[in-house]
Amino acid sequence: MADFHIRLDGVTKTYGSLRVVDNLRLDIIRGEFLSLLGPSGSGKTTILMMLAGFQDASEGTIYVDGNMINDIPSHKRNMGVVFQSYALFPHMSVAQNVAFPLKMRGFGRSDIRERVERALDMVQLSTMKDRKPSQLSGGQQQRVALARALVFEPGVVLMDEPLGALDKQLREQMQLDIRELHARLGLTIVFVTHDQSEALTMSDRIAVFNKGRIEQIDTPRMIYDHPATRFVAEFIGETNLMEGEIAGREGDEAMVRLSDGCMMRVRARDGLERGAKVLVTIRPEKVELSDPPAAANSFPVTVSDTIYQGDHFRVQLQGAGQRFIARRDRRAAEWPQGARLHATFAADDCWVIAP
Amino acid sequence: MRPGKLIPAVFGLLAVSFLLLPLLVILPLAFTSSLFLIYPIPSFSLRWFDVLVTNPVWRAAIVNSLIIGIGTTILSTVLGGLASLGLREKLRFVSAPLSTLFLLPMVVPAVVLGVGLQILYARFGLSSTYLGMIIAHTVIAIPLVMVSVTNSLQGMDSRLELAAASLGAGPAATLLHVTLPLAMPGILTGAVLAFAVSLDEVVLNIFLAGPGQRTIARQMFAELRDNISPAIAAAAFLFIAGTIVLMALVLLMRRRVGGTAS
Amino acid sequence: MMARLWNRRTRAFLLVMPMALFIAVFFVWPLVIMVKQSVSDTAVLQILPRTADEVAGWDRASPPSEAMQAALIADLRAATDEKAVGDMVRRLNSAQSGFRTLMSKTISAVAKPETGPLLAPVDKRWMQPPYWIAIADALEPRTDRYLLAAVDLERDATGDITQMPEGSSANRLIFGRTFWIAGLVTLFCVLIGYPYALLIAASTGTTRAILLAAVLLPLWTSLLVRTAAWFILLQEQGLINGFLLSTGVIASPLALIFNRTGVVIAMTHVLLPLMVLPIYSVLVTIPTNLMPAATSLGAHPLRAFVHVMLPLSLRGVVSGMLLVFMTAVGYYITPALVGGAGDQMISAIIAFYSTQTANWSMASALGMVLLAITLVLYVVYAQLSGRNSIGGRM
Ligand SMILES: Nc1ncnc2c1ncn2[C@@H]1O[C@H](COP(=O)(O)OP(=O)(O)OP(=O)(O)O)[C@@H](O)[C@H]1O
Ligand SMILES: [Mg+2]
Repeated sequence: MADFHIRLDGVTKTYGSLRVVDNLRLDIIRGEFLSLLGPSGSGKTTILMMLAGFQDASEGTIYVDGNMINDIPSHKRNMGVVFQSYALFPHMSVAQNVAFPLKMRGFGRSDIRERVERALDMVQLSTMKDRKPSQLSGGQQQRVALARALVFEPGVVLMDEPLGALDKQLREQMQLDIRELHARLGLTIVFVTHDQSEALTMSDRIAVFNKGRIEQIDTPRMIYDHPATRFVAEFIGETNLMEGEIAGREGDEAMVRLSDGCMMRVRARDGLERGAKVLVTIRPEKVELSDPPAAANSFPVTVSDTIYQGDHFRVQLQGAGQRFIARRDRRAAEWPQGARLHATFAADDCWVIAP
Repeated sequence: MRPGKLIPAVFGLLAVSFLLLPLLVILPLAFTSSLFLIYPIPSFSLRWFDVLVTNPVWRAAIVNSLIIGIGTTILSTVLGGLASLGLREKLRFVSAPLSTLFLLPMVVPAVVLGVGLQILYARFGLSSTYLGMIIAHTVIAIPLVMVSVTNSLQGMDSRLELAAASLGAGPAATLLHVTLPLAMPGILTGAVLAFAVSLDEVVLNIFLAGPGQRTIARQMFAELRDNISPAIAAAAFLFIAGTIVLMALVLLMRRRVGGTAS
Repeated sequence: MMARLWNRRTRAFLLVMPMALFIAVFFVWPLVIMVKQSVSDTAVLQILPRTADEVAGWDRASPPSEAMQAALIADLRAATDEKAVGDMVRRLNSAQSGFRTLMSKTISAVAKPETGPLLAPVDKRWMQPPYWIAIADALEPRTDRYLLAAVDLERDATGDITQMPEGSSANRLIFGRTFWIAGLVTLFCVLIGYPYALLIAASTGTTRAILLAAVLLPLWTSLLVRTAAWFILLQEQGLINGFLLSTGVIASPLALIFNRTGVVIAMTHVLLPLMVLPIYSVLVTIPTNLMPAATSLGAHPLRAFVHVMLPLSLRGVVSGMLLVFMTAVGYYITPALVGGAGDQMISAIIAFYSTQTANWSMASALGMVLLAITLVLYVVYAQLSGRNSIGGRM
């Protein structure tokens, strides 16, 4: 049985009549890297603020190690927090910033010096310890914030879009660094982001939020390959969606009649009754394109545009009464506009969700 | 030069002279050897500074100004600083009216406040006391302290305090280690302004002070009315020099606290 | 979790409390006392409390009852504070002439133990209702006479509000003069301040720094120092007269000080920064490319100014004008020092009543009028410039 580190039970946050976080149930496993992913305004920061004790939940209970912590003030919660803008103390040096939580906990001088040294080593900033935050680059400030949140060895680290202000290259470097630290220190990390690729890269699990509710919580792989709802399918990566209804079953496969009448074969799932309305999703990179039709699940399509994207081509298609997107390897032939092709959807790559 | 540029340039020059000339003409007269506050200066001497320190009236005035000024600075900075911190908690129908109320002494004419305080002081025996003067000056210094401290608190990233809390600092430690150091430029500015206001205040002094609380400003006022002597210019010189020193001090402190806070 | 919220509120409350108390006691209360003082009239009630009890039941027409007369004698015998008695007599005499002689006669009579209990033997006039009506009216602790007097009005014998006789009071004249001087100063400030603010906004680098410093430096300098400086410039042997005489522009010194000219010049100098800064703070928010944009659309620079810059900066101009006017109306020091007797503004009159004659009621009433005017101007100003922005000038 999983070892729950943090449990949110029925946690709700309202501002007036607006339910920003709505009856949230969430178990965070000890040592996991959990990302909270969702569009702007979906309540991610609010959840983090309630975990850190900066805001009170309107309803519900938060447990850490089985103890309710709703009434514990933030300075006694022992959670490290990394803010989006880092929130480094501008009047303290790097070393003083990192020493701050230790000083607050009454550590001895030499002990503090040693631990600060180690924390700064960990983020490769030992040479900058006497600088003021304003004399550091964004990435360096980020690492100071990280060291400061980790130096007192909290069990949980909360991060609110910590990499949002960094440029792409630095962000990718930091993603790997944080992942590595997570693995090394065995921390529980709750990581807020609205960047889906960041969430996919870093997380053990991802909770996808929409309007204060969890749409799906699962491993990155499951979230990507088997989205639970239309919202998740559309929010994570690109996808093709086809409306239809179940026309019948055949062993472990099911037949779906699309809205234009075409039949399509998909991998079956429990609970797919005949006549049920469904959405078939297939990722663009799973769409096969060929001149002659393949065996099954092939539909005639017309190329409406082909866009070069560096490492691949994005092919926009028209067929079966709707638009499709396919993603082709750069070695693939560059079809001219108006070319008539066949698109093939392997039954295994099609995923069926409720509309 | 084209007239399109000449006219603004001439206007600017005239306006700057109008603004600065009065300040410039008074300074040299502090060093005149003449008995009168007029140009030309026959020869330079420090006799009027000597008068300031040796003449018992001026000497008492300087001491009184310092006592009342320092008292006002302390009282108004403490009260204003605490209130600015407290007013960050936004309570509807309470915080906004209170902040407005605390700024009102800046609006009410000094004579009006003088009349009210005079009647009040007569009841409580505060007339002609140092405490009475300090209190009266504090009332009019408070808005300036409030404005500068509130500005510096508003300019502060509120997440810094959340960060401090998450790192284990309780409310008192957060105040001591984070909020106060970051608000220090504003607090210092407020303190300097409070001192300056007290130093320059005359009207309330006329209404409320006895002969024992005559300040430099009051003494200057009296001298300007009766026997105009260059001692006024010497006092003015001290005023201007003092202002410059104080402002430099504040700027220096700001630099030091500086960082990204400002 | 309510507990933590409550905690925060308690903390905030405790932090604000000292200031709230201080301001309540030493700012709000004095103003309230002043308001009360301006409508209170206890000079007579203070001396004649027993008479007050008896007069309350009197019908104001029949001859005074024996009880009323006895009470008056008892009150006068009990009165020891000569100054307070004097105030009472003056108050009664102002309502009914003849009271001064009547009272001095009566007071010396009641000093003798055989006098009483009736007053007719002392003076026949005590049998006439008008004197008692005057006492009855003066016993009323609330009055509007000071507020009316503040604007040169009074109540006649029938209680109707009428003009005071010509020459007996000059408050209206002085209010008028106050507005006139404040208006002139505001006008000069805007005439110099608006172009000056435009100039700052249009300049860059060192020029802008110098122009700004020239406004800020006087603002930081003591008001008394600035007033003293104008002394040096404006007096008869002052620099300006000296310069004009030596260049032969004038043959004899101009009277620049102790008159209206001096007051307006010095006050304009003192208040100019309060005009420039609000306008400048609005001007810097106007995108610099608007004027070129307008001229590129074919507008003559002057038209472009009238149609683009002026409307956009108007808010700052009006704020500045209100600020200057509001401050000027309450000015005391500068007119007192560089003005003549005919240039004293309302503040000087208030100070006179308050510090010279200790007539607090009159001082309070005039103060009330000044306070009301200032607050109205402030409300308009605050509406215009957004809350708390009065601090913006710091
Ligand atoms: N103090 C507040 N009063 C009213 N509404 C608020 C308050 N704070 C947050 N909200 C609302 O709560 C909702 C959720 O805000 P939150 O900051 O949690 O979103 P988020 O998911 O972190 O978004 P982002 O990705 O933009 O940071 C938003 O609609 C926001 O407008
Ligand atoms: Mg957020």
